[in-house]
Amino acid sequence: MSMISKILFGPIRTGMEANRPVLYRIAYAWCHDAALADDLVQEALAKAWARRAQLRDEASLKAWMVSIMNHCWLDHLRGRREFDDVDALQDEIESGADTPEVCCNREQVIACVRAAVARLPLGQRQVLTLVDLEEFGYAEVAGILDIPVGTVMSRLSRARASLKITLDNAAKQHAAQPALRRVK
Amino acid sequence: MNAVISNETLHAFVDGELDVAESEALTARLRSDETLAQRVCALRSLQSMVRLAYAEPPVSTGGKSLVAPRRQIMQRCAMGCLILIAGLSGGWVLRSLESDVVAGVSAPAIGGFQAVSLSRVADPDRVMLHLDSAAPERMQAALDQAERLLDEAEREGRAMQLEIIANSHGINLMRAGVSPHAARMARMSQRHANLQWVACSQTIARFTGEGQKVELLPITRAAPTAIGEIVTRLQQGWTYVRV
Repeated sequence: MSMISKILFGPIRTGMEANRPVLYRIAYAWCHDAALADDLVQEALAKAWARRAQLRDEASLKAWMVSIMNHCWLDHLRGRREFDDVDALQDEIESGADTPEVCCNREQVIACVRAAVARLPLGQRQVLTLVDLEEFGYAEVAGILDIPVGTVMSRLSRARASLKITLDNAAKQHAAQPALRRVK
Repeated sequence: MNAVISNETLHAFVDGELDVAESEALTARLRSDETLAQRVCALRSLQSMVRLAYAEPPVSTGGKSLVAPRRQIMQRCAMGCLILIAGLSGGWVLRSLESDVVAGVSAPAIGGFQAVSLSRVADPDRVMLHLDSAAPERMQAALDQAERLLDEAEREGRAMQLEIIANSHGINLMRAGVSPHAARMARMSQRHANLQWVACSQTIARFTGEGQKVELLPITRAAPTAIGEIVTRLQQGWTYVRV
């Protein structure tokens, strides 16, 4: 199968398809909405395929596709909110997610961290997820989001600081009000 | 040296963005500075929590699943047709292409060991052997392998460069008074000018930290880190073999 699609579409198509799970994870971490993340990935893949001639270096395929998806996501935000100053939005918008509450077991930790990440301002959320989830270098992230490296570093720093505070508070809350223990 | 390290620097350290010298300096400081070590630890655990949180993002359940079976059948039909067409019309083209691809993927092997090289064809004249264990048979194998490669190159009249890189417990091979092969190694070095022995400074620092005195054989040179040395050499087109 992959052999044939390689011959028909060239190796780049296979490379793009292989990046689908990566894109989906990032998209989900950005918007915390599975259906929307799916749409974003689909759109980014279609756009990447249409613009494949613009890719200069195949080694940077992943970063290039993520940067296309970033544009799709910003377009989506512009369309949804009725103003277009996305730059201002980057530092302000927090999603309406609830504050993370009790974290104790694995599922709860996951839910808790996701809620905390969702509460980060958009710009910080993007930088944090790109660095932590996909281990992009700072320079790569700067290229993908089209911002200076200094901004990447400061956003990352702020994002991690507030993430830590949120999670610490959640843990403290949990310690302060012991939930009902189930007695077998 | 005791200046407070900023959060940004610490983040860069955790993300591997510092250069080798800076990150080594910081690593050294971490051993003595407990609060700093705690900060790094907290950062790392935060990072792994974020990774855990998105390791398995939920799959979207749109209306797509309803259409899928039929689409799959169509896809299979189309695929079948394509295979047929490809088989009928492009047999020769396909054959030559396929053998090309297979040739590109085949991993090079040097003297029975799996070799790694960034270029398509492993360079037989620039090889590094990586030793990370103190097991006698592994040490023996590394030396035998090195001698075999060098002799072979000599017979064929090639100028070969060979580096033996040791880290972790493999470093015992290069410690004066510990190495069981010191005499043989000295002989080898005398015979082959292009043979180098490289030890990992980080490992030495660790051993020293544990209270062991590490003295290297005079023929050995120390590199900042074994991994750094390996990566640099790979980028320069060397072939890597793990013994």
